[in-house]
Amino acid sequence: MKTLRISRGFNLDVAEQPDLSCVHLALPPSLGCCAGDIPYIRPKLLVKEGQRVKTGETLFTDKRDTTIQYVSPGTGLVETVVYGARRRLMEVVIATEAEDEYVEYDPVDLNGITGMPRDALVSTLKKGGLWQGLRQFPALDFADPDHSPAMIIVVMDGNDLFSPRPDIILKDNITAFEAGMAILRQFSDRLAVVCRESSLEGVRTIGSSVADQITHTAPDIYPAWNPGAVLYQIKQEVAENTAWCVHLDHLIMMGRFLLSGRYPVDKIVTVTRPGEHPPHMRARQGMPLSALVEKMPENSIVTTGRFNGRVLEEDAHIGFFENTINIIEAGPGEELFGFVRPGLDKPTVSSSFLSSLFKRPAKMDCTLHGEARACINCSYCERICPNDLMPSFIMKALHADELEDALALGLMDCCRCGLCSFTCPSKIELTRILSDAMDAYYKDK
Amino acid sequence: MKNLLKKFFDDTKPLFTGDGKYKKYEPVWDATKTFFFLPSEKVRAMPFVRDHLDLKRYMSVVILALLPVTFFGIYNTGYQASIGAGESWSTLTCFLVGARYVLPLIIVSYAVGFAWEFLFAVIRGHKISEGLLVTGLLFPLTLPPTIPLWQVALGISFGVVIGKEVFGGTGRNILNPALTGRAFLFFSYPVSMSGDVWVAGKQLVDGVTGATALSVTGAGSQSITAALGDAGYSLGQLFTGFVPGSVGETSALCCLIGAAILMVTRIANYRIIVGGIAGLVITSLIVQLIPGGQDSWSDAGPLYHLCAGGFLFGISFMATDPVSAPGTNPGRWIFGLAIGFFTVIIRVGNPAFMEGVMLAILFMNVFAPLLDHLVLKYKSSKRIPNV
Repeated sequence: MKTLRISRGFNLDVAEQPDLSCVHLALPPSLGCCAGDIPYIRPKLLVKEGQRVKTGETLFTDKRDTTIQYVSPGTGLVETVVYGARRRLMEVVIATEAEDEYVEYDPVDLNGITGMPRDALVSTLKKGGLWQGLRQFPALDFADPDHSPAMIIVVMDGNDLFSPRPDIILKDNITAFEAGMAILRQFSDRLAVVCRESSLEGVRTIGSSVADQITHTAPDIYPAWNPGAVLYQIKQEVAENTAWCVHLDHLIMMGRFLLSGRYPVDKIVTVTRPGEHPPHMRARQGMPLSALVEKMPENSIVTTGRFNGRVLEEDAHIGFFENTINIIEAGPGEELFGFVRPGLDKPTVSSSFLSSLFKRPAKMDCTLHGEARACINCSYCERICPNDLMPSFIMKALHADELEDALALGLMDCCRCGLCSFTCPSKIELTRILSDAMDAYYKDK
Repeated sequence: MKNLLKKFFDDTKPLFTGDGKYKKYEPVWDATKTFFFLPSEKVRAMPFVRDHLDLKRYMSVVILALLPVTFFGIYNTGYQASIGAGESWSTLTCFLVGARYVLPLIIVSYAVGFAWEFLFAVIRGHKISEGLLVTGLLFPLTLPPTIPLWQVALGISFGVVIGKEVFGGTGRNILNPALTGRAFLFFSYPVSMSGDVWVAGKQLVDGVTGATALSVTGAGSQSITAALGDAGYSLGQLFTGFVPGSVGETSALCCLIGAAILMVTRIANYRIIVGGIAGLVITSLIVQLIPGGQDSWSDAGPLYHLCAGGFLFGISFMATDPVSAPGTNPGRWIFGLAIGFFTVIIRVGNPAFMEGVMLAILFMNVFAPLLDHLVLKYKSSKRIPNV
């Protein structure tokens, strides 16, 4: 087992760690299949409002590749189809029935997976709506089945500081994990299984067979366990730029799907909120936010990852790629002479507030703490970037339309962790600028 | 107080925003408002949490670091005036007399500087940046206390307009605006900027030269250090700063305190300061080893070079201006080292410009983008290509 070394990143103490117990949530009256969190998708809707769908039935596909299917997380009538700006498909909402009726496939056992032809495996996973769990670098679109990746990275921990712990996801799912690993071995000889240091002990307790397969441990500095940061740390040659990655919960879903022949409908979700430690929750795929979060504090926002998620509206449903919900309160409002206060309660990665002298849990809020200004070249973004990028220089190259320069500076190595925007004293939206440029370049290619 | 201010800004808001009567002057209103109230908008794009450091805080830390230099500069101006007058004044008197000379410089600098900032912000319709908070204080600290106020106004105007605003404002300037203004005065009005200008309110008293340490040379076979001692510039005095000079530059100690604040809070990059001091020490040692020149600054050695003149002030507060310095770490080392090197070379090799640090910093400001370019090229070549 190797240890990844990452010196940069965010290592403030945030005191919102969810409790390690796990509660089972009841089936909510509605479930949603979300398209809003799927990168690059051009959805093609296959169902109408009022139509009855089974669990695992296709709701929409991707026009770019219609074999990629997004399936229903529950059984019932299609209640509404929600569109966003410019009629972008956001969600398909299902009014659930008490009993699930599944689309059935032939179960395969562990040996069967190993013996399965690659093509058959791909088409089964695509039909089951799970192939898109495999993502391909550098843009993290769904994996191209015709491509043989130099490496597949299995990430045990989620995108947020407090995403569900792998041991809770793995509980009762060790066989499914083994099946998932058997699927991955069909596609690449080299699997890098990465686990946070703080999660390692839990994984050891749950099953040494899993712990033995972990190849790398990542320090507890955000975003050391982010797939993009992991790839950057272990990358040695150009071929690895198109590696694949998969999150633990999707890997287990794939395993369970093949072993049981049914779409796996549950997932583990964590909710973080200031001052509380809610337990892990075993919820349904596409759970509505209202069922996960009972009462929202006033003047706050809900995100699916404080650094790199999206904002959830009150009536939203949690997406396929999301398993963490952060409730972030707004700050104290406009402070009189805010910029000259000593700032004991102002967490910062710089050292310009007194809070940096004392090690105590940081209270994060969702305010900008300043106004946008021109870049002053201070290098705070470089100092925090886990992938040794210089976001300010990449931004300037992009503003000058020097795409070649931006690429040479490593634009496509960006893991979209969000730390450059987090730290920028000029409040420049660096992450968005870099991320948009990556998307534009990828779509153009 | 807070509620009153809040009410004032709420009441005046319709006048200055939207279709208000004074819509044109929104930047001025906005700058005043955000000075009192830290803006706290909700984040709408990821990441949804943001660091508390913003540019106002950033610049306030620089101001904090400048306070020891400023207060000492005010006191020392009064103290030098007392020597110039041949009298012995109390600390308070020295401070008050100093304030009488220095405060007008600071006030004129800020007033004229902000007038230009407001003008450009109103015409361009952008927000007023915080850069002038620092420039407006740095600039008067580099001037002799006897300088006429109209020259201060002219200098800060040149610094702000030609040094900064024509490039697009804070963050886009090539040269340090405060030093640009000083260089303008230095070359346009040499009479006010060199020679017998360093002591305020001086009457003719024997034995008071009123020149800075850098203009001292040994006579005949007298060594430079002995000559400096004779002229009243012992190393200890140069270190503590009770000598004539520009308002802010005299005290090496206060500059070091400021540099420490900037480096500990990581507002200034330590590479520039450490690199600069290293460059100066190494170069002055090498120059000292070259035979000859016992009576000139070439033989003064690193400690005198460090403490005399404005080097520590320049390297701590001017060279560390992140905008005009390189943005890459190797670039910052080279930048600092080169400033130290050129400071000594200019002092030793060109006695016409005794104060080498100003020209050294401006010279290296011009090269900062080139240093960055080279470092970026090198760093790109070390990455595993990903296109």
